[in-house]
Amino acid sequence: MQDFDYWEPDSLAEAVTILSALKGQAFPLAGGTDLLPKLQKGQVSGSGVVNLKHVPELAGLGMERTSLRIGALTTVSSLLANKEVSTYFPALAGAARALGTPQIRNLATVGGNLCNASPAADLAVVLLAYEGRFKLAGPGGARTLAAQDFFIGPGQTALTQGEILTAVEIDIPPLHSRSAFLKHGLRKSHEIALVNAAVQLTLESGTDKIAATRIALGAVAPTPLRVRTAEAVLVGTRGGSAAWDEAAEKVMAAVAPIDDIRSTGAYRRHIAGVLTRRALHEAWGEAYETANHA
Amino acid sequence: MKLPITLKVNGESYRLDAEAKRTLLDVLREDLALTGTKKGCGAGECGACTVLMDGKPVNSCLVLAVDASGREITTIEGVGGLDGLSPVQEALVDHGAVQCGYCTPGVVLTAKALLDSNPHPTEAEVREGLSGNLCRCTGYVKIVEAVLAVSRASERRD
Repeated sequence: MQDFDYWEPDSLAEAVTILSALKGQAFPLAGGTDLLPKLQKGQVSGSGVVNLKHVPELAGLGMERTSLRIGALTTVSSLLANKEVSTYFPALAGAARALGTPQIRNLATVGGNLCNASPAADLAVVLLAYEGRFKLAGPGGARTLAAQDFFIGPGQTALTQGEILTAVEIDIPPLHSRSAFLKHGLRKSHEIALVNAAVQLTLESGTDKIAATRIALGAVAPTPLRVRTAEAVLVGTRGGSAAWDEAAEKVMAAVAPIDDIRSTGAYRRHIAGVLTRRALHEAWGEAYETANHA
Repeated sequence: MKLPITLKVNGESYRLDAEAKRTLLDVLREDLALTGTKKGCGAGECGACTVLMDGKPVNSCLVLAVDASGREITTIEGVGGLDGLSPVQEALVDHGAVQCGYCTPGVVLTAKALLDSNPHPTEAEVREGLSGNLCRCTGYVKIVEAVLAVSRASERRD
């Protein structure tokens, strides 16, 4: 394990001050499940670790009026245990269940999964589909970014020097809307997604017409990807196999997957289409029922 | 950089100075001589180093010792020994679910935490619950049977 200096701030202001003063030479620590293996291998540039676990402003998970506030320090297992998450955000619960192992989920945090900015991060793709608002705090004050503006590239986020992700907010989806998350890997557990997908469909009340949709995919581009061209072909339609096929075609055209040790790009592109169809179908089944039997 | 830390392990408090870079796993094994916790991959993959932190299984190789300060840690030494095995340990022995034994301490702690929070899991829940503990000998079948047997035995007592 490489040597490092260690800080344990107990307020957001102190954390921001320390991270700013160290000018990129210190690494924030939350769950540690990504950071510790890197420290073990001596792969962390910089000489400091700033443990954010005692910063109260980063904690908490709960409803605030019509949205859910997920504090950055929320562990993946507490997402899974949360009633509001399983009731209103089934795709988020699905992504939490698909992440890592029970041991990892007890340590790993939402903030860490997002700031690590893996293009394959399970929570990132879901928060794109739920149009999460990323709350940041830094030396220049607080600001809010849309999920799609937070991710810049593999391992790269829009966070500036000294800036910290404090929470993500997601609105309770409209009535008659349902979401789904699917992940494809070679194992059932402890797998980095070869491709993952999250969709949300909202139907017009009392009809089977699609009023709005969101489609997001991971591990198929330098960042988790929202595919608006695929969303556009579905709005106003009544869904069904032909519509899902058309959306899947748009997804396959939009993605830019790479070849690596886990998969070829061509296979990822194919699976991106398959997951899009399946996720839409899954979300549709439930949305259809709600709109017509409410 | 040495820091003073207080570790609560198996109900006992230990005060020590540890380098910030040392993991909970290394401090347990090397400073407290609690060598029941095993070091496998050192990267959070295998689950051999599983301990309970505030009752929940975690990979102790992914936790800095300084970050575990003040938390309740349970290691395999805290769940039964020669003077009486815990129910999960008994069941693993009865089912022949221990071969080389290297994964066993982690399996025992993970299974204990699973049964503490969900006393009557389905087979799928047991497999999911143990998905972070790799075993290269048993093929898992006997481990899963053992955990389900503990659940059934406690059902009879309920």
